[in-house]
Amino acid sequence: MEQSLTDPNALPAARASSARRSRALYIWGKLPQLTPLILALRNMRARLWRTLLTCLGIILGVAVILAISITNDSTLKSIRNVFDEASGRASLIVEASSPSSEGIRESVAARVRSFDGVVVAAPSVRATTLLAAESENWQIVFTMNGQAAGNTLQVLGVDPAIDRDARDYEIIAGRWLKDGAYEAIVTDEYAAEKELELGDDLIIILPGGGVERLPIVGLIKRDGAGLLNDGDIAFVSITVVQDLFERGGSIDDVSIVTTPEIANNTNELTKLKEGLAERLGEEYTVSYPASRGQLVTQMLSTYQQGLQFFSVVALFVGAFLIYNAFSMTVLERTREIGMLRALGSTRAQIASMVLTEAAALAVIGSALGVAFGVVLARGLIWMLGAVVSTSVDIIEVPLSGLITAVGIGTAVTVGSALMPALQAARTSPLEALRVQARPASRLRHISWISGLVLMAAAWISIYRINWPPEISFNIGSLSILILLFGATLTVPLVVGAADRIARPVAIAIFGNEGMLGAGNVSRSTGRTSLTVASLMIGLAMVIANNSLATAFITDITAWVETAIGGDLYVRAPLPMRENFERQLLGVPGVGGVTKIRYFSVKVAKSEIPPNVAEQDTVIFAAIDPDTYRAVGEFEFATNQGDADANWARFRRGDALFISNVVADRYNLEQGDTLRLVTRRGEHDFYVAALAVDFTGQGMIVSGSWNDMQRWFGEHNVDRYTISLAPGYTTEEVAAEIESRYQDTRSISVETTDEFKKQILDLSEQSFRLFDVLGLIGVVVAALGVINTLMMNVLERQREIGALRSLGLTRWQTTKMVLAEAATLGAIGGVFGLAFGYVMSKIFVLALNTISGYDLEYIFAPEAFAVSVFIALGVSQFAALYPAWKAAGVNIVEAIKHE
Amino acid sequence: MAVLEANQVKKQYQMGEVTVSALDDVSLVVNKGEFVAIMGPSGSGKSTLLHLLGGLDGTSDGEITLAGQPLSQLNDNQITVVRRRKVGFIFQFYNLLPTLTAEENVGLPLLIDGQALDKHRERLERLLALVGLSDRAHHKPDQLSGGQQQRVAIARAFVNEPEIVLADEPTGNLDSKSGTAILELLRKTCDELGATIVMVTHDPRAASFADRVVFLKDGKIVRELKNGSTGHSVQPIMDVMAGLEL
Ligand SMILES: Nc1ncnc2c1ncn2[C@@H]1O[C@H](COP(=O)(O)OP(=O)(O)OP(=O)(O)O)[C@@H](O)[C@H]1O
Ligand SMILES: [Mg+2]
Repeated sequence: MEQSLTDPNALPAARASSARRSRALYIWGKLPQLTPLILALRNMRARLWRTLLTCLGIILGVAVILAISITNDSTLKSIRNVFDEASGRASLIVEASSPSSEGIRESVAARVRSFDGVVVAAPSVRATTLLAAESENWQIVFTMNGQAAGNTLQVLGVDPAIDRDARDYEIIAGRWLKDGAYEAIVTDEYAAEKELELGDDLIIILPGGGVERLPIVGLIKRDGAGLLNDGDIAFVSITVVQDLFERGGSIDDVSIVTTPEIANNTNELTKLKEGLAERLGEEYTVSYPASRGQLVTQMLSTYQQGLQFFSVVALFVGAFLIYNAFSMTVLERTREIGMLRALGSTRAQIASMVLTEAAALAVIGSALGVAFGVVLARGLIWMLGAVVSTSVDIIEVPLSGLITAVGIGTAVTVGSALMPALQAARTSPLEALRVQARPASRLRHISWISGLVLMAAAWISIYRINWPPEISFNIGSLSILILLFGATLTVPLVVGAADRIARPVAIAIFGNEGMLGAGNVSRSTGRTSLTVASLMIGLAMVIANNSLATAFITDITAWVETAIGGDLYVRAPLPMRENFERQLLGVPGVGGVTKIRYFSVKVAKSEIPPNVAEQDTVIFAAIDPDTYRAVGEFEFATNQGDADANWARFRRGDALFISNVVADRYNLEQGDTLRLVTRRGEHDFYVAALAVDFTGQGMIVSGSWNDMQRWFGEHNVDRYTISLAPGYTTEEVAAEIESRYQDTRSISVETTDEFKKQILDLSEQSFRLFDVLGLIGVVVAALGVINTLMMNVLERQREIGALRSLGLTRWQTTKMVLAEAATLGAIGGVFGLAFGYVMSKIFVLALNTISGYDLEYIFAPEAFAVSVFIALGVSQFAALYPAWKAAGVNIVEAIKHE
Repeated sequence: MAVLEANQVKKQYQMGEVTVSALDDVSLVVNKGEFVAIMGPSGSGKSTLLHLLGGLDGTSDGEITLAGQPLSQLNDNQITVVRRRKVGFIFQFYNLLPTLTAEENVGLPLLIDGQALDKHRERLERLLALVGLSDRAHHKPDQLSGGQQQRVAIARAFVNEPEIVLADEPTGNLDSKSGTAILELLRKTCDELGATIVMVTHDPRAASFADRVVFLKDGKIVRELKNGSTGHSVQPIMDVMAGLEL
């Protein structure tokens, strides 16, 4: 010190540093309340690597919660936004109670307009078509909602005189539509994509097979109304659309703009909505624009709940890491804390020092977690986008999500530090005088007994109690967390025994060093338990998700194989005529043909269980019982009696085959009735049988063709399924059909195998998101392993130094740490596998309960094998740095007495 | 015959821009069967010298020859193996492994060397008997007193029949009765087993058990005293120390 002061070069630096220090000390000197913070910050700096690990745990936890929240929110917002924006200033919408291709009478608009408070009532009519140039390569994209999307163009017929008062159009080139003129407006993006310019003709195909040329007179921004159908939309005068698409005097809906007083007052708006509904009668439904994305959001909700649950699990694992890190800090500083106590620090001061450190970490971790969460969300949204096929372009950080993520992150961090803080507060001043800190084993008998009790309670809650549906998801999630926590408490029970079993294995693999390493595992049971527990949870999640995927995919494959019969599908962007069936039968090689039509139907209010939803929509699949069984079969649920009898009842009419999901949602069995909203009012349909059907997430019922015509006034065909006559190949028949009809009818023919593959791909994709979250759990667990081993190495510096001085080589030291990690990994692996198995069964049960599926658990050996690999691989990988650190221990430093 | 030779050994520590010289031209020869004590005021370089002699740390200059091997010509692994087979260490803070029993701790160097303890049961029993802990063989360190732990450490130091045993303040942490027992034990190993011991201490009474006392000051050897073969004479040692600490 003296020498450095006489060294002229050292002076300025010394002065600067002492100036810096004195400023900090000056503030501290004035504000003694800062003491805990300053001590905490110094400790965080002194144990930088652990601070970083703990921080990483918090970051990942907060990031996952936030990312899921952003993902769910953005996806829902994007879906709703399309309906919202498209309806612009409209606050209410009138449409047919039973959606049908016939639409509603034009005169409704006038009736609505006469209503008090209604300013504008804008009718519209929709049609789907294709650009003639693209009719050859029309694509079908199978999406989560079971409906086809692709490069179709939607044509919206609007009343040029009033529509701009209801919907938002931002014209950026050209002009607005003239009433009754055969011309169109498209979005600039669509025009650019299709290489169309203002003044060019939009050449579209018509239902009869002809084409129509509509000059493009205006371009609008892909915003407001331009968002409809993902921007692939053309606006045309309503009378023109009615003429071209044979819609006579019918429209699809009326958008209502009210006076501002009503629009901005929820009560008034509700009054108007109810008044209109009453005046217009049962045939019509009055709804809020945003509710129109409801079928899709309804189908997404299970999925999103699942995501939320996983994010909670990731944080749960994070909590272990944080708890572990803090108990280590406290244990490691026993002497230092004892000294502080000897110098007169109160217990409260000691506790607040530890908690301050936690709070500081929480702030830093949450801030970085938010940043990382936004990045993660982009990835998840991208993955989810592929599943729901709605381009999610609103990425918005929901304030509530932000608050939740940061709040939970902070609470978990401080909460996890609470026990260690109290433990620190109990430190006796005598500890300062002790030569070697006593290895503390904090978890006692009482804890594994309570662990068993918790597990039993969770089991009862999951398997024995029938919780009301509105809380069952939350209770279920909580029960699973309790189960995991209970399992954690039982780990110490096994650690001792596992150590004994692991020893010989460790010796076999790593030699005598292996024994030393394996033995270390049972030294601080508490630390080992938490590390093992976080590994266990990470692995259990991976296994459970994998098992769930296996169960789901196995079921869906079985369904796909039976239900998707036939060899070829014929589809078209415009609904096809019924008489096309006869023509198809005339094609050589076609053995059988059956038709199918999908449309959505509202379920009568009386069917919907209280508190579940305000309105429900299901997909109605109309099939022709006379021809259906020639090409495919229904996969009936178990105990549905004789298939022929079910079909006979179905053919008699007023009957449905309903999916398990629908049966579960409305609590129906074979022989009950389901009330649907038809064009002729509400009507009861007899449930002829329950069937396995995953279309539209299972929100589907099947009815006969005659019932469809009778109750819903539909008659067009969405899809023809063809079975081949013997001796023909799919390729030659498909080619023959295409050559005969593609030009005139713009149909597309695909093999059912292609279609099945699309469905299976989509299903597998849906689970990938969960895999990502499961892996994040494993990463957090790996951080825990690093933390524990690092701690073990640091704590045993002296011991490692002594071993090195006794002749342990660096490589032997490395092996010793690797053996310790392998033992941790093996115990975690065994627990992970066991709980993965339990968890898998619970997940399958949970999905069945939530969604109404009827899946069965299937043992998936790959999942378990992968987990063993992860457990050992991750633990070895996590041990590399600590092992390297241990091998590099400076012997002299380590054995030096303080 | 020289078991250990230090030849003009220097050790310097770089502390930022300042060089601290811990050892300066120290030369020392330890012969087989000798019990040498190293004394000196705090900071004189005693521990540093012992660390260098045992190959725990490298010299800045000079050479140390241990059992005929010049350490500067060996790499870290080779030195480690020399240490494992030829040197025994005794520390002030025992440094036993809390997970192992007394007997296993004694056998630790054998374990590290990849040997099965069963083959050496007899030797372990003999050593435990030597240090008077036959009845504590299966106790863990936290069930032993400080003096007992140190005796286990001594047994451990002798388990591989080392050429030389290095001890840094082995009694520094013990009361005088246990301390004396330890010193008598060390003395006995020399006399009866022909062991060679270098012991750092600043306790004149401990030093009086040695055959020869080497005095260090400021990193240099400043004096040497030979004890008579019978004499545990503390007074002359105290006198020298008093002179050095002035
Ligand atoms: N790692 C180090 N870095 C810098 N200087 C060191 C280091 N280790 C020791 N020294 C210095 O070397 C000198 C000798 O230290 P050493 O530990 O050998 O003393 P000692 O004689 O054992 O003292 P004591 O009786 O107090 O144990 C001291 O001045 C010490 O400050
Ligand atoms: Mg010393």
